[in-house]
Amino acid sequence: MTPKFRLPALDRDSRLALMVLGVGALALLGLIALAGESPLRVLAILIGDGFLTRASLADALVRSIPLTLTGLGVALSFRAGVFNIGADGQLLIGAALAVACAPMLGPFPSGLSLPLLLLAGAVGGAVWGGIAGILKAQFGANEIIATIMLNYIAIQLVSWLIRGPLQEPMGIFPRSDKLASSLRLPVLFDGTRISAGLIVAALACVAVWFLVAHSRYGYALTVTGKNPDAARYGGIRPAVIAFSVLCLSGGLAGLAGIVEVSGLHGRLQEGFSGGIGITAIAVALLARLNPPWVPVAAFGFAGLYVGSDAVARITAVPFPLVHVIEGAIVLAFLVLQTLPRAHGR
Amino acid sequence: MADDPKGPIVDLMLLTGLLASGVRFAMPLLFAALGETVGQKSGVLNVGLEGIMLVGAFLAVAFSVATGSPWGGLLAAILGGAAMGLLHGLFAVRLKVDQIVSGLALILLGLGLSGFGYRLVFAGNQTVRVLGFERIDLGPLSDLPVLGPLLFSHHALAYLGLVMAVGLWWILTRTGLGLTIRAVGENPAAADSAGIDVDKVRMRCAAFGGAMAGIGGAYLSTAQLAGFVEDMVAGRGFIAIACVVFARWNPLGVLAVALIFGIADAGQIRLQPLFPQVPYQFFIILPYVLALVALAGAARSSSLPMALGQPYRKA
Repeated sequence: MTPKFRLPALDRDSRLALMVLGVGALALLGLIALAGESPLRVLAILIGDGFLTRASLADALVRSIPLTLTGLGVALSFRAGVFNIGADGQLLIGAALAVACAPMLGPFPSGLSLPLLLLAGAVGGAVWGGIAGILKAQFGANEIIATIMLNYIAIQLVSWLIRGPLQEPMGIFPRSDKLASSLRLPVLFDGTRISAGLIVAALACVAVWFLVAHSRYGYALTVTGKNPDAARYGGIRPAVIAFSVLCLSGGLAGLAGIVEVSGLHGRLQEGFSGGIGITAIAVALLARLNPPWVPVAAFGFAGLYVGSDAVARITAVPFPLVHVIEGAIVLAFLVLQTLPRAHGR
Repeated sequence: MADDPKGPIVDLMLLTGLLASGVRFAMPLLFAALGETVGQKSGVLNVGLEGIMLVGAFLAVAFSVATGSPWGGLLAAILGGAAMGLLHGLFAVRLKVDQIVSGLALILLGLGLSGFGYRLVFAGNQTVRVLGFERIDLGPLSDLPVLGPLLFSHHALAYLGLVMAVGLWWILTRTGLGLTIRAVGENPAAADSAGIDVDKVRMRCAAFGGAMAGIGGAYLSTAQLAGFVEDMVAGRGFIAIACVVFARWNPLGVLAVALIFGIADAGQIRLQPLFPQVPYQFFIILPYVLALVALAGAARSSSLPMALGQPYRKA
């Protein structure tokens, strides 16, 4: 009994959705052609140099560490219907607070000082997210705009810190002193830059997954996001959820910040957050806000960045194409979500 | 200062200069915020203004170089902005996906497209001379003390901004078209049963909002500054949304709020050299802090369009 394969009859909306997908893909290829390159060659470099060599895999893993941590935070907040799009600022403040605390951690044994450093990073990010949380919970301010404004404020604060109170003793470059070696996350695999931040990210995944899937709080988040009125009726206070989830989300971003400093750069400097926060949104959405899928999506986007670096190096296609691809992926994801609905699932 | 007879005059000149450049700094916010006001009044929330303004800023520079006229650049920015507004409409209005997420995608697209185009067209060539908008010379009026620099020496676009603020206020509150737009944003089901094509009105408002954000970007790169730099919009797209909220969706209010932000931005630049002991970064953050204060002070407004952000499905 072999059922005859039949295409499902498509309604008008689904046809439109599929058409949008097709036109979008063509437009992307058109952009590449506009730069005077063969789309096939660019695609081959993007995938080959992004995922298929040892060096690029290692590079993608390095980049996926902060993306996973911030992506988890964004996923948590989006679950609650709270749009934290300012992970960049929370990441910066977290890193800055931890670096500021670093000299005080000297007397502690090294088994304790490193976790304390990471904690300081998380606290810094949580405070920065919490400011947006208070503005939203107490005054009803829109968190999308608030978190973005706090991004720009954080960038300026760090710019001042590394030229002022936190500047290296030599006072030449706008950057902090190097962290003591006891405060550095060790490299996991010789010959790569993959640090123990990978373990931190994995632990965070498990913790956030547990929080979402097995705790009352995680349930309250999801209910608030799906139906605030029902949440209120069930005794959940959306304002409390909004504030706490912005703290949590910011805390994860702050943790990402200090993991980047301690595991990769070794010091606080300018421009190291560059767009992690906005890519984290794409990561969280593609993972459908599910913590176990966040590292997978993070790795995918990390590879996309590594591949795009190679494309920009080898071909005439400029690097910002990567943002166009990110935007297109988010839109394609939105379109695909409309399809099952149109089929009357 | 009281002993110095020149004191008050110098103060007045400083103040005039501050207010005049405040008007210029307000314009990108004004255009984008006016467009967003119309969009939100019709129920379409577009958080991607930042991306559209970036594309507008880039297109204005590229096409003012290509056509030899800033008006050619402006036209390209309007068309590009409207196209992005329509794209948002296609997703948010027609396909009925999450409007916020679609707006976030616009930010990524705008960031990518403008950076991609800039590196492709100008290939890092910083010396391209951009034909910007000239300030209008109204002869004796422009030479008037105080009033001259304040009112009669701006770019043509600035006057367009003022006219649009008043015009949109009139259209939204006094005309049938305005009633239609408001009805679609307040109660789409009722508008539908009155024979209004809800999605069509919303699509047009989304396109209009995009075009206005495009003009805002064009103003930034060809009138306020002279050239494109990647990520030059620097949060103005979001401040524009804050303007809309603080002005309670009233175009005349938007004009006032945009002017306040423009003056704050112009002021922080002028304050920097006066207080050399204060790190300059603390001045740069002023407009952003102001936006946070405005958001906190103005939220929970009853003027919020009831159906804002909600796609309309026929029953």
